Amino acid sequence: MKRWLTTLLIAAPLMAQTTSSPVTFDRIVNALKEPQNWLTYWGDYSAIHYRDLKQINTTNAKDLRVEWIFQTGVKGAFETVPLVVDGIMYFTAAEGNAYAIDARTGRQLWQYQYKLGDKKLCCGTVNRGFAMLEGRLFMATGDAHLVALDARNGKLLWDTEMADYRKGYGATLAPLIVKDKVVAGVSGGEFGIRGFVDAYDANTGKSAWRFYTIPGKEDPGGDSWLAESWRRGGGATWLTGSYDPEQNTLFWGVGNPGPDLQGDTRKGDNLYTASVIALDGDTGKLKWHYQFTPHDTHDWDACETLMLLDLNWRGSKRKVLVQANRNGFFYMIDRTTGEFLMAKPFARQTWAKQIDDKGRPVLKGTAEPTAEGNPVCPGLAGAANWMAPSYNPELGTFFFPVREQCDVYYSSPAVFVEGKPYWGSVFRGQTEEKEWGLLKAIDPTTVQTKWDFRYAKAPWGGTLATSGGLVFSSDEDGYLMAFDARNGKNLWKINTGNRLVTSPITYMVEGKQYVTMPSGAALLTFALP
Amino acid sequence: MRIIIVAAAALVYASAVRAETSQIELGKAVYRSNCAFCHGLTALGGRGPNLASGEPRSEETIKKVVRNGVPGSTMPAFDGIDPDELNSLVAFLKSLSGSASAEQIAGDPSKGHQVYTKSGCTGCHQIGGAGSTYGPDLSRVGGGRPVAYLRESIVNPSADIPEEFQGVTVVTKEGKRVTGVRVNEDTFSVQLRLPSQLYRSFVKQEVKEVIDEKKSLMPAYKDMSKDDLENLLAYLHTLRGQNEKGTAKQAEAVR
Repeated sequence: MKRWLTTLLIAAPLMAQTTSSPVTFDRIVNALKEPQNWLTYWGDYSAIHYRDLKQINTTNAKDLRVEWIFQTGVKGAFETVPLVVDGIMYFTAAEGNAYAIDARTGRQLWQYQYKLGDKKLCCGTVNRGFAMLEGRLFMATGDAHLVALDARNGKLLWDTEMADYRKGYGATLAPLIVKDKVVAGVSGGEFGIRGFVDAYDANTGKSAWRFYTIPGKEDPGGDSWLAESWRRGGGATWLTGSYDPEQNTLFWGVGNPGPDLQGDTRKGDNLYTASVIALDGDTGKLKWHYQFTPHDTHDWDACETLMLLDLNWRGSKRKVLVQANRNGFFYMIDRTTGEFLMAKPFARQTWAKQIDDKGRPVLKGTAEPTAEGNPVCPGLAGAANWMAPSYNPELGTFFFPVREQCDVYYSSPAVFVEGKPYWGSVFRGQTEEKEWGLLKAIDPTTVQTKWDFRYAKAPWGGTLATSGGLVFSSDEDGYLMAFDARNGKNLWKINTGNRLVTSPITYMVEGKQYVTMPSGAALLTFALP
Repeated sequence: MRIIIVAAAALVYASAVRAETSQIELGKAVYRSNCAFCHGLTALGGRGPNLASGEPRSEETIKKVVRNGVPGSTMPAFDGIDPDELNSLVAFLKSLSGSASAEQIAGDPSKGHQVYTKSGCTGCHQIGGAGSTYGPDLSRVGGGRPVAYLRESIVNPSADIPEEFQGVTVVTKEGKRVTGVRVNEDTFSVQLRLPSQLYRSFVKQEVKEVIDEKKSLMPAYKDMSKDDLENLLAYLHTLRGQNEKGTAKQAEAVR
């Protein structure tokens, strides 16, 4: 009898998993309460990249081994973060490809391909993944469209053009669901675009609202641009934002102003570039903004993960937003009011003396790009970038990859031609110094390092934290690694054979925990024996 | 009426000149941020060859070299370069042509070959497949490096050490020291090429320290006589790679 009862108890959650119920907005809001799934790009709306799964833990992580490998055969950087919903994994790859596979075996269920033809795209065909709502999957495309697929068979349901790719627009991000809408942004910050965040009706693909990240001449903030420079001011929105359902506020990171390395023609602060914008979830109206790098001339987009945490700050609990910014500073901002709370450097930086009490950088005055080249830290790719940081709420620790790399910044007059690169320079010049990287564990209220682990090269791979006391991370040499979250002890590693350019996820199917990481053209999944 | 036509023609001409000038200016910017790192800010050469002297090359050849790189050398392929930028770059490089005189080489290549042999260069270097793989292959070094750079490399090799010939010393936990060329180093391991031309791999767990050598692994030939140095440089300058039959062109040049 007892045995029978146990079986029944085990069977109950199994049934729940195999009977796939629709992914509702409510389920995404409560994504952390179903740790077996991965329902949205950052794992949940607060973007903590954390799962309460402990089957794989500090004692057995050393035994992790490859469970299955899915080969896409698709060339190009594999930057997707798969979604996992009740045993099925949905993910995208470069060149318009998308797949549904059995998350337990890696066997394909369907494949979809969005035809890009030989269109000349600003930002390539790289893709970072799906958003899902009800039975629909949403994917942005290299030519700046947004498409909806039927999750049952990968059939196209609707296809909406967000912007004209011939004008330098593209899209690489995973969209984000807010209630009944799909929110997405665009790439093309190096091509003289005028960036925006868009929302579309999930059922029909019809436009619901648009927020331009570059205000028009007469709009508030319009005076932060010299003359007509706002028209091609950049401000791309190329990475998924985060969302606070309680306040119905959407947080989105905005990219660099254009021309990137030449600021003379666009004197002023250049709002809302290199900023976080807080938008109303229903209307897209601006609630507040904070600009990390006013009048940026180093390509320091602020698109990096905007993590929403509730932290003790100077004696009281505050709802905050934290970001390790490309410019080398770690920021804490009150997410209700936009009030600047703190910024401290987490990597070598040579451009600012400090960030003052109001949140404005005090410049050293020696970091402007020049015709002859000026070495500045961090480099163009930033001290942080799109790869996910993670947060362990039990430990209060923020884990993130740090890029220690500087560049020589060149500047030259920029000529605007629609749809053409608008850099105000060309490529970056690397310094002679050898780059390196770190996996850093910090207290987000003080930015004090708890521990760090040195990588041979500056990483492009992100992290994942679990209640198993682990933090997974990935480096430029292709290592996927597991660390003890408390002390940084390396417990496990595997050379996956290709540089890692996205972040690992974890999920559970029928009582077994898995860890998945894209590498090269392959999706690798690990589990215990 | 005629005056108007002339004036219009002058305007067209002026704007054409302006367009050309701005193309060269853009090309200069493209050059500075992509090429100056190796070829020098004024294109007179650095680690890479002097681009302001030497035989003029056709636009197509220059474009091909930029797009595809030079296999077997450290010249990378700039395959993603925007066609307009490439055109501007070519215009800029063309504008330099002849602005610097060709490098004068006083020495005798065949005597230089003897200096090469007697100085023990083959112990570390290779030419046309003969010699050691420990140091850089010199089969086409005359095409790839300016004479001034070669001179410096012989007299003071530590002045510029290419990344792929960075010397490292691995100190094991037992205190053993092994020095070689770093072939690869990642977060968990390091692979060296030893003077014996064999590879040696270390897992960092077994290693106490990996030291980046500040000095080149090549000895400095500071005391080489002036004649020997000039002759050796003349010989190295002739090394331009092998022809199709596999006979080194430099051999012909030496002959």
